[in-house]
Amino acid sequence: MSGTWRVATVGVILAGMLAVLGLRLWAVQVTGSEEYQARAEFNQVRLVNTPAPRGDVFDRNGVLLAGTRPSLAVVVDMALVTDETEDLLSRNLAAFLNVPASSLMETFANANSGAQLILAEDLSEERALLLLERREDFPGVAVIPQPVREYPSGDLAAHVLGYIGRPSAEDLERPDVRGNDVVGKAGVERFYDDVLRGTEGFVKYRVDADRTVLSKSGEKAPKPGSDLHLTIDAGVQAQLQASLQEGLELARRLEMEERADALAKVSGDARMVLARQEARDAIREATALDAEIAKITDEDERAAAEAAALLERELLHDPDELNQGEELQSLYDGLPVDRAGVCEPAQRVVLGVDERSRLSGAVERSIRLISVTDARDTQNAVVVVDGDRFIVGRGDEFATTLRVTSIDEDRIVLTHSDKWCPVRSVGVVEDPRDGSIIAMGSYPSFDPTAFVSGLTSEQWERLGTANAFTNFAVQGLYAPASTFKVVAYMLAIEEGIYPLDRPVEDRVLGVEQPEEDVAFGEQPAVEALQPLLSDTDAYNCTGSLRFEFNDGSSQVYRDWKRSGHGPLDLHGALEASCDLYFWEIALRVWNERSDDEGINNENLWQEWARAFGFGEVTGVDLPFEKQGLIPDRAWFRDEQRAGTGRVRATGPWVGGDLMNAVVGQGTVLVTPLQLANGFSTMVNGGTLWEPRVVDSVTDQEGTVLDPKDPVVLASVALASKSVTLFRRDLQQVVNGPRGTARRAFESFGPGVELVGGKTGTAEIIKADEKIDQVDTAWFVGVAPVFDPQYVVSVVVERGGSGGKVAAPIARQVLQHLIGGPGSVTPLEAGAEAD
Amino acid sequence: MTMLERTPQPVTLLQRERPMRPDLALVGSYIALSVLGLLMVYTASAPRLIDLGVNPTQDLERQGVFVVAGFIAFGVVSAFDVRYLRRWVPVVYAASMLTLLFVLTPLGRSVQGAQRWIDLGPLGQFQPAELAKVAVIVALAALLALKPLPLRWPSMVWAVVVVAVPALLIFLQPDLGTMLAFGIIAMVILFVAGATWRQMAAMLVTATVGAVALFQVGAIRTYQIERLTAFLDVNPDVLGTQYNLQQSEIAIGTGGLLGKGLFNGTQTNLRFVPEQSSDFIFTAVGEQLGFVGAIIVLSLFGILLWRVLVASLHARDRFGLLVAVGTAALITFHVFVNVGMTVGVMPITGLPLPFMSAGGTAFIAMSIALGMAHSVWLRRSPVPGENTFGQVQLP
Repeated sequence: MSGTWRVATVGVILAGMLAVLGLRLWAVQVTGSEEYQARAEFNQVRLVNTPAPRGDVFDRNGVLLAGTRPSLAVVVDMALVTDETEDLLSRNLAAFLNVPASSLMETFANANSGAQLILAEDLSEERALLLLERREDFPGVAVIPQPVREYPSGDLAAHVLGYIGRPSAEDLERPDVRGNDVVGKAGVERFYDDVLRGTEGFVKYRVDADRTVLSKSGEKAPKPGSDLHLTIDAGVQAQLQASLQEGLELARRLEMEERADALAKVSGDARMVLARQEARDAIREATALDAEIAKITDEDERAAAEAAALLERELLHDPDELNQGEELQSLYDGLPVDRAGVCEPAQRVVLGVDERSRLSGAVERSIRLISVTDARDTQNAVVVVDGDRFIVGRGDEFATTLRVTSIDEDRIVLTHSDKWCPVRSVGVVEDPRDGSIIAMGSYPSFDPTAFVSGLTSEQWERLGTANAFTNFAVQGLYAPASTFKVVAYMLAIEEGIYPLDRPVEDRVLGVEQPEEDVAFGEQPAVEALQPLLSDTDAYNCTGSLRFEFNDGSSQVYRDWKRSGHGPLDLHGALEASCDLYFWEIALRVWNERSDDEGINNENLWQEWARAFGFGEVTGVDLPFEKQGLIPDRAWFRDEQRAGTGRVRATGPWVGGDLMNAVVGQGTVLVTPLQLANGFSTMVNGGTLWEPRVVDSVTDQEGTVLDPKDPVVLASVALASKSVTLFRRDLQQVVNGPRGTARRAFESFGPGVELVGGKTGTAEIIKADEKIDQVDTAWFVGVAPVFDPQYVVSVVVERGGSGGKVAAPIARQVLQHLIGGPGSVTPLEAGAEAD
Repeated sequence: MTMLERTPQPVTLLQRERPMRPDLALVGSYIALSVLGLLMVYTASAPRLIDLGVNPTQDLERQGVFVVAGFIAFGVVSAFDVRYLRRWVPVVYAASMLTLLFVLTPLGRSVQGAQRWIDLGPLGQFQPAELAKVAVIVALAALLALKPLPLRWPSMVWAVVVVAVPALLIFLQPDLGTMLAFGIIAMVILFVAGATWRQMAAMLVTATVGAVALFQVGAIRTYQIERLTAFLDVNPDVLGTQYNLQQSEIAIGTGGLLGKGLFNGTQTNLRFVPEQSSDFIFTAVGEQLGFVGAIIVLSLFGILLWRVLVASLHARDRFGLLVAVGTAALITFHVFVNVGMTVGVMPITGLPLPFMSAGGTAFIAMSIALGMAHSVWLRRSPVPGENTFGQVQLP
């Protein structure tokens, strides 16, 4: 019997095994059941997200600018696609979508298992029904409602609205943003993306282990985004865009005319061209001035004669003239032109190996890519242009107009560019009473609808080459030129700093204009202010200023008008845009930078500039806003140390730098919006508003969710007399006898006396270029000038003279603002003026 | 231990007056498990078959045939005195080894990287390893039944050889679960046959060294290690393996105390659980019948274990004793490994749940084994242990 214990032992061990199982079952089925329930639920449910419609965007009058229309999209949930069904699915979908099955297979192979791929958008209902009815043939495919963005007015306010697209890596870091989502990429679409997006919903499906959808087990409707009501006025916006486009085209035609003149000049007609030009100018100036003040006319006639003599002398005595002419001829011949023969800033040329193409120009050139060589990671291309052979690498410039953008194994991308062709026009209309932006845009522009379904590569290249997607009103940095003289003007009046140390305060006080008396449309009492043009103790603007340095050497600064403007005071200086007067102010600020008490006032002018919001972002509710730059000694030193090349390599910050800055040249940079906002602050009595494009955020029923009240950033203490004088002087720029914008506003019609403004022409000087002067044309207009409701700033990049091309654009917009759309007269070139 | 409390009665060896009454507890549990198994096979397979649009009772019918065949085998073997089998053991063993060899030939069917089946055409597939387990039990029992006690070392060596031959053949298939089963069965039979502690230790060392050696030469394929270690979560990358484990555990866990009811097993019916009517049949029990159902199944196996061990103690010779003990070890070890796998305490091996998992060879082989134990019971000695331990003194 003694062996029984062995059997018993075996029995105990084996029974113990069963007992262990029993205990484990208790733990799994009784104690841990809930946890397993949750895991099972997770197993058997799949979510397909349904995107929320984006909120609508309206203009200030309720015009729909961006809306949403419902559509259907085909989504493949990769979690529901198994290896076995993938083949079937790709074949059926390929047939359904009319795309190669192999590309679908590739897409599936690259997708991770949890991805939801949108394979087709904007599906018709019948086609969607087909998919739904034959679900077994399309495993893992869902048809989801997908709202599609639409912009009913095309490119209207495109730069304010921005555009949408698939999220970038950066966007994906935001919570709630997934790869299939649509996010704002620019404009209010981006800035207010969180507000516009809404909350996506989902559809829950029960699935089995083969991930076949069994049934819909739940649904949450998406919550649409909130609506934006902009401060933009669609009518004014349309006018601004039309004027910007027309203005740019005008500027380009003017550029071509100037070239024709220049060529005519060198081809023997020099005297005729010159005479024609001189006569035109003299007659214009004489008639303008004759009617006003005889003395100044005399002065000017003398100046005109001098200028003519000077030009003639230069022409006749230049020995290299003919050679230069030939070079000029060949240069102009090769520059890119459009079909109408008008210049274009840049054209893209793409060439495959052994391909030929033609380079546009007055004289077309042929171009051919011979080969691409690959040596040590740098690719070089052999290109033949009109028989000349070039070996070029990436970034190289050759054949005068060409620059290599990129080289691939078998193709080259070139930019065929014209560095002198007007490239862009930008405009902003702001309400100086609360900082509302009434219109904003730049041309070339784009239609944001194109982004909804994705841009074609051709569209992308053309618009991308023109930088059409950038809102240059907030992202473009330009030298403000003479428009910036207003800062020194305010400084002079407020601080009592005048070139001759003789303030004009007393006389000014006597003619102060009560603001409340001048309502929109009323005749302003301009005549009452006229006595101020008295020349008795005016500064004599001779046209050149000799400036002596400490070491005894001297430099002559020349006014934009070489003959000078004659005797004028601060007001006349603004009206005629006399550089010398403002240089003198700068010199006084510079010379008195430290007083006896040792207080350093060196940055007096910079402080005034910054007080009006320059050198800082305005805080407008649009993305990517640029800051601009108000240079001072500290900045200058930092740049020099960093070796950025934006300033001289050696030497300290000097008075000359300040003189440059005061007239808006040198390194001063502003955005068109900053300039409009700065002018607004000056004309509204010193309130610096935060510009805004969104007036309120509402839900779909119109209940206001966020009123977006105007925000005051700062108040500048301006005497009311300064403001009144300033408004009067701006009015004189447009209406006065010497006003630089007078000619541009000649066709304005009734109400022109309600308009003020300031022109500006920036010279961007690049020493390494053959023709080194490319102008940037500015105009900032104000209306009604004695009770400002609109400030319009316009810039034409490489546009030439501000009075000539920028002022007429602003004129049309102001006509629209004051007299309605019917009062807008055709665009004509204004006078060549600073 | 009820069996030990019985009063010995003075009967002679030749007395065979005891009527051969079946052990109702054993037969009842056996039938109950088989029928429950059929039900589970049906609930686990029907939804899938309906989806496929074929006869939903297809798998049930097929398993029903095996069950009937198993019952017949059980009855036949029960009626047959196992003592006469002993002389046929070499033939049975040799035949079994030949079928194992046959699997390795190109005629063997390969599924999931393992060659375990012989295709019998319309009869289905034959899995020689299942029968080999029974063959090894009778071979070991026959080998050790006649050896004088205490067992000598040469007997141990012979025992190793008897187990090692099929183990190696199965290793080549490969099927680690079955190899493990061989090892356990051999240890149990040797132990009951009277091996000393030292001999047991030596066997354990031999088995361990053998296993380590196989690992060392890299003969064990990676996927086998993965499957064996997946339940420890040491190899979470093996998604497939991990997936099986998790899904079956979830299925059983969601069953709760009373289960979801028949055909309401979402995990099983939505086919999250793989092999749900064969290796993972127990998940269907756990999910649909809950803790109560699972415990009933385990209890039925407990009753089988009890009845078979009681039978072993009543065996008329050591051969019967060892066969019955081997059968108890075979069945219980399979239950432990199979159920343990579905609840995450044992690695995934291909061992079926006796009498319940769909599959013909396993069912018939287990039925034969149980039939042998039953046969031992039917021809039991009135004095427990009389002829097994009475003649030869154990140490």
